[in-house]
Amino acid sequence: MDAFTSILPFKQLLPQKLSYDKQETFLKLFILASAGILAFATRLFSVLRYESVIHEFDPYFNYRTTKFLTDEGFYSFHNWFDDRAWYPLGRIIGGTIYPGLMVTSAALYHALRWFHITIDIRNVCVFLAPLFSSFTVIVTYLLTKELKNTSAGLVAACLISIVPGYISRSVAGSYDNEGIAIFCMLLTYYLWIKAIKTGSIMWSASCALAYFYMVSSWGGYVFLINLIPLHVLALMFTGHFSHRIYVSYSTFYIMGTILSMQISFVGFQPVQSSEHMLAFGTFGLCQLFSFVEYVKSKLTQAQFDALFSFALVTVGFALSVAGLVLWASGKIAPWTGRFYALLDPSYAKNHIPIIASVSEHQPTAWSSFFFDFELLVFMFPVGIYYCFKELTDANIFIIIYGMTSIYFAGVMVRLMLVLAPVMCVLSGIGISSILTTYMRNLDVSQPKKSAGTASAGSRSRRTDDSSTYPRKNEIAFGVVCLMTFFLITYVFHCTWVTSEAYSSPSIVLSARGGDGSRYIFDDFREAYWWLRYNTDEDAKVMSWWDYGYQITAMANRTILVDNNTWNNTHISRVGQAMSSTEDKAYEIMRELDVDYVLVIFGGLIGYSSDDINKFLWMVRIGGSTDKGAHIKESDYFTPQGEFRVDKEGSPTLLNCLMYKLSYYRFGETYTEQDKPPGYDRTRSVEIGNKNFELEKLEEAYTTEHWLVRIYKVKKEENRGQS
Amino acid sequence: MARLFIFAVGLLLFASVWSSSLNVDGSSKRLLVLLDNLGLRESHSFYFKQLKDRGYSITFKTSDDSSLQIVKYGEYLYDHVIVFAPSTKEFGGRLDAEVLTQFVDAGGNVLVAGSNTVGDVIREFASECGIEFADDKSAVVDHLNYDLSDDGQHTLIVASPNNLLSSELIVGQAKKNNLPFLFRGTGMSSDPENPLLLDYPATVGKRTLLISVLQARNNARVGFVGSLDFFSNDFFLSAAQPNNGKKSDKSGNQDLAVALTDWLFKQRGVLRSRNIHHYLKSDKSTPRFYTVKNDIVFNVQFDEFVHGKWMPFNGTDVQLEFVRIDPFVRTTLANKGGQLEAQFRVPDTYGIFKFVIDYNRVGYSHLYSATQVSVHPLLHTEYERFITSAYPYYISTFSMMAGAFLLSFLVLYHRDDLPKKKAE
Repeated sequence: MDAFTSILPFKQLLPQKLSYDKQETFLKLFILASAGILAFATRLFSVLRYESVIHEFDPYFNYRTTKFLTDEGFYSFHNWFDDRAWYPLGRIIGGTIYPGLMVTSAALYHALRWFHITIDIRNVCVFLAPLFSSFTVIVTYLLTKELKNTSAGLVAACLISIVPGYISRSVAGSYDNEGIAIFCMLLTYYLWIKAIKTGSIMWSASCALAYFYMVSSWGGYVFLINLIPLHVLALMFTGHFSHRIYVSYSTFYIMGTILSMQISFVGFQPVQSSEHMLAFGTFGLCQLFSFVEYVKSKLTQAQFDALFSFALVTVGFALSVAGLVLWASGKIAPWTGRFYALLDPSYAKNHIPIIASVSEHQPTAWSSFFFDFELLVFMFPVGIYYCFKELTDANIFIIIYGMTSIYFAGVMVRLMLVLAPVMCVLSGIGISSILTTYMRNLDVSQPKKSAGTASAGSRSRRTDDSSTYPRKNEIAFGVVCLMTFFLITYVFHCTWVTSEAYSSPSIVLSARGGDGSRYIFDDFREAYWWLRYNTDEDAKVMSWWDYGYQITAMANRTILVDNNTWNNTHISRVGQAMSSTEDKAYEIMRELDVDYVLVIFGGLIGYSSDDINKFLWMVRIGGSTDKGAHIKESDYFTPQGEFRVDKEGSPTLLNCLMYKLSYYRFGETYTEQDKPPGYDRTRSVEIGNKNFELEKLEEAYTTEHWLVRIYKVKKEENRGQS
Repeated sequence: MARLFIFAVGLLLFASVWSSSLNVDGSSKRLLVLLDNLGLRESHSFYFKQLKDRGYSITFKTSDDSSLQIVKYGEYLYDHVIVFAPSTKEFGGRLDAEVLTQFVDAGGNVLVAGSNTVGDVIREFASECGIEFADDKSAVVDHLNYDLSDDGQHTLIVASPNNLLSSELIVGQAKKNNLPFLFRGTGMSSDPENPLLLDYPATVGKRTLLISVLQARNNARVGFVGSLDFFSNDFFLSAAQPNNGKKSDKSGNQDLAVALTDWLFKQRGVLRSRNIHHYLKSDKSTPRFYTVKNDIVFNVQFDEFVHGKWMPFNGTDVQLEFVRIDPFVRTTLANKGGQLEAQFRVPDTYGIFKFVIDYNRVGYSHLYSATQVSVHPLLHTEYERFITSAYPYYISTFSMMAGAFLLSFLVLYHRDDLPKKKAE
């Protein structure tokens, strides 16, 4: 520890009257507190720049449910059947969400109320993720401390407080499950490490409780419940299995499984679905392994061998028969699509368009690793190296965690989030180890004092050898400077990424004008507010599913499909309506009682994630069911296989509902100088089908920048004239 | 070869509410009659007298009257309009085909008579309603069914009542009385593209229509008669003498004209529904939402406008549907003196359902009512607490707990004196 405190340049500033231990505690607390506050503060860009507003899509749903929970109480929330979404199917919300996030916010809200701190529930929601990031910083410290030592813990805590890969999901306003789930996950890992180190039932039970919190808050718990058994298995194979592991895992598995089944969305999955089978199998294996060890200690070798071979054959046979029967009777749930997508990145693309259509589910680009982790990408292997050097039970765990999560992060962009903490932990170990090693060489005038109290054995040998090479002070100085430089650039990079990339609420857009001034496009809320105040309370709004949560939360109108993509057929029906001609679409809209159609159109201001750019997904998803079999993706391409909206575009595309709703009256609008009217700035073409009239719909509202366009579905013609 | 048809366009859907709409029912009696010249008042006096006897307050105007208007300050001044001005090229004042069409869309009823000449404004209005009049200065000629008093051109036709649409509500007793009709005027054809054509007469191929009516989706009724003379005193009184049949003393014109007008002006065949109630069978309360497998009762009051009064409707073929995209329940409502009632069990499917009554019969106004309710799944307290088939599991659970307790008790408190003896 003294090595660590000696790093600090402001050692002299510390109160001298304190004893050495107290100074150390003070320092630790100071660093941790700063990291925690920094974690909170760096996530506030969006609030400062825009306002205290909920971001994006899913957070709006979470916000709405949280509001419901605080207003109506837990039992109404648990039994909540939402008749405003998925018209006319409805959605059982209580049984199809992970309630941890909402319960956490509601508890915080009520606790604050109890202290007579009156705070709006929206603000609780907005600031929950930054708050939990601060907690994550502390848990990371604890976890890394268990794995390595305090100094590594402090470095890891500082790293995680600003790592962009985690900030991307936890800025203020990004009120999503992941915001608290990372905290829960690390807490579970910490308690797990604690449990296997001590073998105490208390730590294992705490671990199970933390796991329960994790299950209640994020579907990503599946990663956790596979990682821990994997760790146990690895320990078994490497001969590290002991009674401590046995007690920890058995306690954890039984309690954790029973607790997780209390979440109604999870239900019987932990004992039925194949995603949980590894945990179950490992549990069985633990029992067998211990039993075999026990029997072995009681019998002679010859007796044991005979018994063992007999048991292996019978038990193996019985197990395989039982497995087959369960498989055939459907008790073991088939692998779900999202899980296949994890193992085989091309699976979703080929089989389930609805999964592939989500940008978060796309494979990760190489550059985004650097973008999200910067320095950590290089320090991660260093950390792994140091862990391998000192292979304890806990280090095996973090190595497995690092290896699996880096694979999953490569498969799916959103799983970068799972990788972020382990990157920080391992890099923390790496950086701390390097610094400790060279820092000791830095001040050659006091080598005895440093070497004498060096903690880890491997390092002390290195320190002893260090006198064998020349200029070690200069080299050490160089390395420390380099490291400092890297760390400083890391801070700049993280701040820049957070500010530029991850702090826009996406509900309010901004752009920079030619003179550097900031333009704000508040069209989404304008449109939702219009719907809220100008349409019938029971009006049904059809839009692509991305906007479902926002419409229900902000406009309070009934919608057909939303971001909870549980019913592919229904989404497909909407896709069919959007990709059909007006007449065909009208039939579908009548069938579904649609009153308004909402489309997002970016052609006027050059907003690229509008409905036309998402349109191919609507076609694919629309064509993926029986009723939409007539919709073929190839019809929407030019003969050369291009997706174009100009004159060359396919006539099917130029006459489908989505095209017409997006470009209605656009053909007479001038968007850019020196360009013909109807020039689409997003796709940089002049549109192909300009002057058309809508027959079955009429324009109801178009926002200031044409970003959101709302159309009213006309009644059937009174006199039967079509 | 022309026949006399009444062709009813029955329509689906919505008594929709329009801006500045008219709420026309049997008690609305404001009638505007547009005439080519005021002389028609005399020549058609029998017809107008019938209307006056029925209590209509009739305003006569010439069609080119410059003060003509049917809408003032967004309010309609009349409930019904009769246009006996076939030769008018353009209406006077602020009336044209578009205003007349809007009048229909607002719920007003219109009766239009044509003759050998049909003016542009009438044509335009007719085509808005899916009717195409024959060319100008033409007449329906029928060499097989003409009146003996015809001048040789065979334009005075005697039409058999057999060709009438068999709906007593629309044609009254005219079909039953079996009196032939006299007709002199132009024919028309209906728009074959019109998807709402319900009851095309059996004699397709003889496509000339002499009389046609249309009931719009908002239940406004529009009638077209190809012959202005059809309503005249002459035709009402004169005997019909077909060239090939027996002579009847009196033509059926008066019966048909009056019956048709009654129907057009909502004196007959008008239904209304009111007092829609739905509640749980068990405690007669209407909850905020229903739960799957509830037994529920739905009732509604149906009235029919008969002889100037609202009377209980006594049809027994009204159906109720419980719809979530597709109907999950379809049942016929039992009629107890106008009080229609159905009992059924909510299907074991949750979602947002609608009680739909879609009563659409030829001659009656179209009744459509949809009431939205949501059907929720069971609450967490509404499931069975103990399931019989689960008793083995309950027993196994508790026996295991007891066993574990006993075992741990033994292990903890049993002192093993003989360590060499193997415990089983």
